[in-house]
Amino acid sequence: MSNILVRMSEAVIEGDVDAVVGLTEQALNEGLSPKDILDNGLVSGMDHVGIEFKEGNMFIPEVLLSAKVMHASLDILGPLFAETGTRMVGKVIIGTTQGDLHDIGKNLVGMMMRGAGFEVFDLGTDVAADVFVEAVREKTPDIVGISALLTTTMAGMHDTIEALQEAGLRDQVKVMVGGAPVTSGFAQKIGADGYAPDAPTAVDMAKEFVSA
Amino acid sequence: MRVNYQVNATPQFRILSDDQCQEICSAAFQVLEDTGFELYSDSKEISNLLSESGALVEGRRIRFPSFVVQKALDTAPEVLTVYGRQGNRATSIEIRPNHICYGLGSGCVQFLDPRTGERREYHREDAATVARVADALPNIDFVQSLGTIHVHPNLVDVYEFAEMIANTDKPIVTYARTLGIVQVIHQIATAVAGGEKEFVKRPNYLVLGSPASPLFAEVEPTKRVVYCARHRIPYISCTAPTCGGTSPATLAGTLVQSTAEVLTELVIAQTANPGAPFLVGGVLSVMDMRSGILSYGAPELSLLCAAFAEISRYLGLPYYSTAGATDSKLVDEQAALEGTFSLLLAGLSGANMIHDTGFLESAIVGSLQYVVMMDEVIGMVKHVLRGIQVTPGSMATDVISRVGPGGQYLTDDHTMEHFRTEFWFPTLLDRKPWEAWKGAGEKSLGKRAQEKLNHILNDHRAPSLPEPTRERIHTILAEAETKAAKR
Repeated sequence: MSNILVRMSEAVIEGDVDAVVGLTEQALNEGLSPKDILDNGLVSGMDHVGIEFKEGNMFIPEVLLSAKVMHASLDILGPLFAETGTRMVGKVIIGTTQGDLHDIGKNLVGMMMRGAGFEVFDLGTDVAADVFVEAVREKTPDIVGISALLTTTMAGMHDTIEALQEAGLRDQVKVMVGGAPVTSGFAQKIGADGYAPDAPTAVDMAKEFVSA
Repeated sequence: MRVNYQVNATPQFRILSDDQCQEICSAAFQVLEDTGFELYSDSKEISNLLSESGALVEGRRIRFPSFVVQKALDTAPEVLTVYGRQGNRATSIEIRPNHICYGLGSGCVQFLDPRTGERREYHREDAATVARVADALPNIDFVQSLGTIHVHPNLVDVYEFAEMIANTDKPIVTYARTLGIVQVIHQIATAVAGGEKEFVKRPNYLVLGSPASPLFAEVEPTKRVVYCARHRIPYISCTAPTCGGTSPATLAGTLVQSTAEVLTELVIAQTANPGAPFLVGGVLSVMDMRSGILSYGAPELSLLCAAFAEISRYLGLPYYSTAGATDSKLVDEQAALEGTFSLLLAGLSGANMIHDTGFLESAIVGSLQYVVMMDEVIGMVKHVLRGIQVTPGSMATDVISRVGPGGQYLTDDHTMEHFRTEFWFPTLLDRKPWEAWKGAGEKSLGKRAQEKLNHILNDHRAPSLPEPTRERIHTILAEAETKAAKR
């Protein structure tokens, strides 16, 4: 692999925002395709971060910093993807369910999904079922991820799945749920396609969904 | 006669000096003046109330000049009593500086079945069982449900409260997620207390609420603060920030923010009704940077909660702390050590009400086996916190002389006279020699705790409520159910 891509990976792993912008420009000047840079410079770096995180050697703030580095590069590469018609790994919509304002976990999932090469649309918190539906209609994602931290708001996840069903959109997406009070049993009960106990698992599951 | 004599009646424990408390409080006042807090959505009622207090209201952002906070501190009571359910003194909690007591927690979504140990969903009947077991344990002074039921959102805390109040005499701390829920719970509590007037004279429960971190508040919970203040329901403003997540990564920064947060609810409460009973509360800990959770077993939890106790005392406010919980998934060695560590430090800190005994898995799972085990620890803690009495009698030089060199104290009258009150007697911890322990069944602490729990489950009957009261509760619940079904 070209040296510049290795250095980009390292910039991602080490959280060096300043370096990555220069390296991105340089890589493009050297004639590397945006897709190549994404897959072998950025995603490869984030994959390593993901593994280190899962093994307990890297911590959440460090993962978020690595994600920030990746975004800095994606800011440059993004428009170029559109030009060349390159597809990202997949498209994900995430949000915290209605009545719930907790977002740290969701943000972490979003960041790590971007790090894995997904295009992520974050609807924020307190997202009503119809807002999810409208976003699905508009963005045609592969995956919808819903987060909840309160037992009293978990029912909103079921509402969203039902609303997608009623709108005739349920079969077009995979629905994943997560959050402290959520369990795989609950996910099954409400008809979700998957439950992830943490961000790295969510990313792995998302990858499986799009490659199936 | 001895003069210039200073005595420690109990062990002495301080984390912060008064000057440090002052620094933190000044910083909190500054945060409230410069940054303020924000309402999540608009509310004319709350905005008007806050304007009335003297706060500066700009849309949803509220800032407090320090005189506004000072006014609230001046009217807030430092001392209050929460009584047993029918106004009984026997089970009452005296809330005054450095008087401590212990209790359970609420909100867990899963429960370890009290008989089988199976990890399952929490059900309505569990609230009754939890109350009954807590009622039996000598070192548990107030009751919380240890769970949360998956029912209609307008009934969840209501059912728990109804079950608890029917199964224990001890004061109850309850969540009340919405205004509607507080109103129903209040109906039940006042019915048991003997009427609204009786309740005000002798409150028998407390409502547990929380400002959101960092520095914002949803409207519904804020209206709940107002409701509790107006009805003089003791309200606990329990903030639960995670260092590095929803509050600064430095512990002092978290203390400043937490102080600011609880003071915003204090201003709201005291403006709505000056003198309304109000407790500062804290579940202050680090965000575990691997798992993202609020760590209940972290040493920082104890350090922060103890410091927060000192800040509350400095401000002249009662305080509700956290201890007796663990991040462990099992009632195992980790649970035992994390629970013990925090229970001791919370006791030393002089917190008025120390909650969350019985929490496993970082507040996801409630366990009565764990409560029984920790009840034993609380007994040990209280015994140590009694300190050592140094008197001519207790120094016993006459006894030392009588027994003499090479003698023995076992048969001396002095030993007979004192050993029962001077020593702590375990009911769960084992001290037998190996053969005797083997003969008794080779049981671990976990097994013995389970056996003790089984005895309580089989034998303990909480005093029952009078029939008219039970009927009244039944009616209140039926009305609430009808209302919930309509929505």
